[in-house]
Parts: sequence; C-alpha cells; structure tokens
Amino acid sequence: MLISAHEHITWPASGRADDPDWAHDCALIEAADILGIATMACSCLAPRPSNPDTFRVANDRMAAAIVRFPGRVWGYAYVNPGYAREAIAEIDRCLAMEDMIGVKLYNEYKATDPAVRPVVEHCLALGAPILWHQGHCTDPLPDQPNISDAADLAWLANRYPELKLILAHIGGGGDWEWTIKQAAEAPTLYADLSGSVVDEGLVEMAVEYLGADRLLFGCDGSMCAGVGKLRGAQISDEDRRKIESETFLRLLGRSAPC
Amino acid sequence: MLIDTNAYLGHWATRQLRHNTPDGLLRLMDRAGIDMACVSSAAAILYKNCQRGNEELAEAVAAHRDRFIPFAVLNPAYAAWQRDLAWCREVLGARGLRLYPAYHGYRLGDARCRELVTAADGLVISIPVRQVDYRQRHWLVDAPDVPLADIAALVAAHLEARFVILEGAGYLGSDLVKRATELPANYWLEISRPDAVYSDEIGGLLKALGAGRLVFGSGIPFKYPEPATLRLEVMRASEADKDLIRSGNLSALLGL
Repeated sequence: MLISAHEHITWPASGRADDPDWAHDCALIEAADILGIATMACSCLAPRPSNPDTFRVANDRMAAAIVRFPGRVWGYAYVNPGYAREAIAEIDRCLAMEDMIGVKLYNEYKATDPAVRPVVEHCLALGAPILWHQGHCTDPLPDQPNISDAADLAWLANRYPELKLILAHIGGGGDWEWTIKQAAEAPTLYADLSGSVVDEGLVEMAVEYLGADRLLFGCDGSMCAGVGKLRGAQISDEDRRKIESETFLRLLGRSAPC
Repeated sequence: MLIDTNAYLGHWATRQLRHNTPDGLLRLMDRAGIDMACVSSAAAILYKNCQRGNEELAEAVAAHRDRFIPFAVLNPAYAAWQRDLAWCREVLGARGLRLYPAYHGYRLGDARCRELVTAADGLVISIPVRQVDYRQRHWLVDAPDVPLADIAALVAAHLEARFVILEGAGYLGSDLVKRATELPANYWLEISRPDAVYSDEIGGLLKALGAGRLVFGSGIPFKYPEPATLRLEVMRASEADKDLIRSGNLSALLGL
C-alpha cells in the first residue's frame, strides 16, 4: 500500500477556503487512483511569508479537502512559526480535527532560528510530526533566503531527539547526496523521497545511510517520478514495504486506511 | 518494441553512475523492457576533446550493435570537428549526434554550430536541454539549461535537419509548442521529464503536437528508467499512439 507523506492541496485562486474550484485537487486524486496511492498527507500552503489570516484560510481549505476526499487525504496544519502564539493556537485548532496528522513548516525561518522554538517545542509536547521544507542547492535560492537544509534539520533533530521531524523531499532539487549524508548525522531524523529528481541510486543511498525505518514515500506533485523511482529502486521487499507506508504509519501511530 | 532515445555509457565526472558499462546498461534496459537505446559517451560531455569519448563509445558498443545505436558528441567550438564527424559516421557508425552548447561554450545560434548542423546531414541532431539538474550542479561546472527559444530558432533555420530534444520540460509554454504551426515539423520531443498525470504535460503535448512528435527516453543510467516507463504506461493515449512514442517515430527517424 502506498501512502504519500508529502503532497499539497492547491491554494485557492480566490484566497477563500470555500472556493468552488477543486479542479487541481480532483486531478491529484485521479493521479493517485491511477498510480495506486491510497492516501496522501497534504498541506495547503498560503503565499509566503504567510500570516495568521492566510495560514488559517490555508488550513480551512485543507480541512475542506479532508471532508471532500474522505480517506484519500490527511492534513498537515501549515503555520508561520514567527507568529508563535497564533501558530500554536492554529496547530491546536487543526489537530483537533479528524485526519489532521501533523504540522508543515516552510521557509519563513530556518530550523536553527530561535524564533521557531515555541512551535517546535509545542509539537514535541503534542507528539505531532513536523514536515519541514528544505533544500541544499549549489547556488543560493534568491527567493528562499531562509530555506533550511539537512544540516539545519539535523541540528534541530539532535537538539530535540524526541521530536518527530521529517526532512522534506530528498529528491526535490539540490544535492541529494549531500542531503542524505548530512541527514544521517541525526539518528532520529526522518526523510521523504519526494520530488522530481529521479537520479539512479538515490533511493538505495538513502536506505544505505538512513535505513528504511526513517524513509517515507512521497511525490510532492511529481507523481510518476515519486512512484517510478521507488518502483525502480533495488531494495529488499521488507525495506520497500516500510517506505511505501509502514514507517509513516508507525511515525503517526495510525493503522492503514481502509 | 521500446527504443530509448536518451541513454549513455561511460563515466560522468561529478557523480558515480552505477550502470554505465555496456553490461550494466543492458541489465538496466532488460529490467525496464527497453529493447534498443541511442547511446552516447557521458564522459565526452566534459572531455575537452570529446572525440576521445566517441572512440571509447565505439569500443563499448562494438559487441552490442543489436541493442545500442551510437550517437556522437561533437563540439563545433573545438578543433577539427569536421574530421571527428567523418570518423563518427564511418567508424562509429553514428546515427545521430548530441550537442552540448552550455558545456562546450557556444550558443546554438552561433555560425559554427549552424555549420555543424548543416554538415551533419542525414544524422539526427539531439539536443539535451540539461544533463544534470542545475540546482545540484557541481560547483566547478556551470552549465545552465539550454533555452527552448534557442532550440526553436535552430530548428526554424534548418528545415532539412531532424532534431530530437532531450530532457526538456515546460514545453507547453515554449515556442516549440506555442509556435509549432509556424515552425517546421522537424523536431521531436523526448518525454522523460514531463508528467503524464496531475500536471499532465504529456497530455497537453499530445493535444498540441500529436503522438507523432513525441519519443520515449529515460536518461539511463543517470536516472532510473522506471519513471519514464511508468509515464508511458499511464499516459492518456491510444495503444497506436503509444506505439509511435515507444518506437514508431524513432524507427522512422533513424531508418531502422
């Protein structure tokens, strides 16, 4: 069974959670049907940097998607950790909803920034997983000055070893060999394999350095890339099952969806 | 029959390739159900004198001519490419050549490139938009993607030539699609990067250009072959159209 740990519900063009246009999201569900993906853990991202008004709309949209596509999508609550008080309240509001399973943090702050600590420590107290956008590109990304990389996330994971922290998209563009080696420096850090990069050997190296008990399947919108690279990976059946869903379900403390 | 128009043999300087020998690539092809592959030297891209890579390729494909279709790597900005072109035709038996303007320090619109394309009469001109995702480039190798607009200008200037564009994406917004009716129908797009579901760029290409202008490619051994074969499997196209993409178009192009 394939369960994706990293997908997105589309931010509505109107900026309204009740926007009637679900075309992109229906296409995502259709793609999952075609590719045999049972359930997708999604977030809805407001334009960055977000503020409490916009991240609440994003999460309302996410909640609406959970209702619209029952059993097919789970939700991450997306917040900007710079608004610590509002972000914590939003996390509490969202995680009280059925099938909201964790928190998504993007690039407003690096994982090493003291500003993120209240939100991180709140997630730690709740046992809520954090999926954290990251990338390590050869050249700095001018539009993402505060993007974290695997070194930042490894630092955070080592500071909070009980935190359920997921490094996003090893294959999301950037030096994936660097990312895997750096992530391996934090024994409690999880990672998802999503992204458009399908370089041969990526999955095998991730298994070699991190182990399948720390790896999660995902596409992040690159659907055939996500499924195809796992299909092509030369790994054991046991490791494949773990990556397909078992590791993520264990991290979430959930059973497989019906 | 499945023909891969985007495959390589030999070493790559900035990342280990695990299946880059003839036997290794054949195992990868067998695993993915790929019958034949257009192969060029990966090492030649970064060799200053890329002809040495063509010579290595000749040796590598010699025992497997039934599976490997050799393509040359030529650099029109380097010495004596005319001599190398003749050797690649006569000794390597090249059916096409691959151009790397970003790696070799020229533009597709340069007169020397135009001269090479003209001289390569009868060979398929293959242009990889990228060899490596620029975001993960080696810090000493600065080779940005080849602009699709430059490719569109080149195909427009060489009505007699036949081009296969590799490793491209975002075609739908480019001149290669938007100006397709104005351009000669002398170029084919390889589909290892566009997706076949969700964003479904392949569906858009099928509508805009038709299956007769698309060819299968995977990027092996740089990339897993399975994402490419999966796209072929799930794309919304008739079996007849898929057959064109699998091998029909390329067979006609290469005269197989």
